[in-house]
Amino acid sequence: MDIRFEEVDFTYQPNTPFEQRALFDLNLTIADGSYTAIVGHTGSGKSTLLQHLNALVKPTKGSVTIGDRKIVPETNNKNLKPIRKKVGIVFQFPEAQLFEETVARDIAFGPKNFGATGEEGAKLAAEMLDLVGLDSSYLERSPFELSGGQMRRVAIAGVLAMEPEVLVLDEPTAGLDPQGRKEMMEMFQHLHEERGMTIILVTHLMDDVANYADHVIVLEQGKIVKAGSPQEVFQEIDWLKEKQLGVPTAASFAEKLMAKGVTFEQLPLTADALADDLLNGLSKAGEDQ
Amino acid sequence: MMNKLIFGRYIPGDSFIHTMDPRAKLIASFYFIGIIFLANNWQSYAVLAIFTLFAIFLSKINIRFFIRGIRPLIWLISFTVILQMLFTQGGEIYFKWGIFTVTEFGVVNGLLIFCRFVLIIFMSTLLTLTTPPLDLSDAIEYLMRPLKVVGFPVHEVSLMLSIALRFVPTLMDETEKIMNAQRARGVDFGEGNLIQKMKAVVPLLIPLFVSSFNRAEDLATAMEARGYQGGDGRTKYRVLHWHLKDTIVMVAFVVLTVVLVLVRS
Repeated sequence: MDIRFEEVDFTYQPNTPFEQRALFDLNLTIADGSYTAIVGHTGSGKSTLLQHLNALVKPTKGSVTIGDRKIVPETNNKNLKPIRKKVGIVFQFPEAQLFEETVARDIAFGPKNFGATGEEGAKLAAEMLDLVGLDSSYLERSPFELSGGQMRRVAIAGVLAMEPEVLVLDEPTAGLDPQGRKEMMEMFQHLHEERGMTIILVTHLMDDVANYADHVIVLEQGKIVKAGSPQEVFQEIDWLKEKQLGVPTAASFAEKLMAKGVTFEQLPLTADALADDLLNGLSKAGEDQ
Repeated sequence: MMNKLIFGRYIPGDSFIHTMDPRAKLIASFYFIGIIFLANNWQSYAVLAIFTLFAIFLSKINIRFFIRGIRPLIWLISFTVILQMLFTQGGEIYFKWGIFTVTEFGVVNGLLIFCRFVLIIFMSTLLTLTTPPLDLSDAIEYLMRPLKVVGFPVHEVSLMLSIALRFVPTLMDETEKIMNAQRARGVDFGEGNLIQKMKAVVPLLIPLFVSSFNRAEDLATAMEARGYQGGDGRTKYRVLHWHLKDTIVMVAFVVLTVVLVLVRS
């Protein structure tokens, strides 16, 4: 299911003294089955863009096409549920959305809203809890007695239980410990690879972008300033530094090596790519001697 | 939803009204609401209207926003005005049906009450649009100080007030966020019959309460860690200053009162 933005403008509270324009003439396509990363400073319009992806807000100009539904400013607020089922959003700090008495009921809440029966809901809850790495002993516990990290997992399970085709993640690992962060990102990668889920990741962590994404969109003050594969976007390190966006650790280390005279065919973005390049370089140097 | 509410919000600026002492503004607003009941004929309302419009002019804020501020209250106003019209007796009778009579006095009374509502809303909107909430709570604290004599916990109340005011926008944001998160999980807010609507609020209210508890706990810890021990012996960072212009405004209100007393019938 493709998502396409055509000349999308968005203004908060139009025609009031608090009017604020957040998106300017956005054109972008998120292809079916892709892993897209959206990066940019705080206040660059990432979260606003994200809310367009499942019609939580409607563009003030232009159109957003989600699958076969076209959302224009005049679109009625009714019958948007099918879109919301297809595009699941994990908001920032999703643990704030938990409310049910038990973990199982909270996870099943989404599916039930979309018409699943109690049994299906319970089955999904057990399945999704396992997927996010918690065992079934948690099913009957209250979500409020869990730790922060566990609550996060339950909340994400609640979104996954809707079995969306597109999964939108707004800084899903913010505030998690390194281990939890890694597990979480690997689980999303797994969903992307095994189930062909389209993933849209909003993040400040360039390492995650380099490691997982196949498409990057850079936003600045509500406009797209760059888009392409991570290789393309991260190629111009100086530009990124100027924009204070940060560079993947591996790339910045590679740059330091380049200053010392090491050459790379292509700037390595991940630790693995960097190690491979260095190893190749070394073995080649060995052969030459 | 909340975007439409103008009343109770603050628009930054540096106009005459903006830079007044919040205490003066608070006293003036309450005083205005008091003396508006002195007006009882068209001339006196005209005086008040001119005074209000001049105050709005001084604030340099577009009058459209004030008019928009009335919108959410329009049903309440119409309801009161219509009741007045239907049940006030006296003067020439225009229309009669059962217990309902529309009389000359009724119509005049209804219109005057309409004016009274509009003027009160304009004035209080002017107060909130030009005064940052924290200044307002400082002013309230100052003006409540005499109540200390009777054992009223002035510091505690004003602390609660300023914390509450500080967290209104934060809670609004939080509400919006949770609402969006639940909508993304398939909740329809404000749709269906009354019971369904009420049920839809549960996934919003519980997280809001829980996060308020957490927030309160964190805030209390942070305050204690920074040495807060209660109101005694504290100094103030924001000090209010009474300027000449505040005195001028007070005098203007006295003049207004005198004029009102003269023109009322």
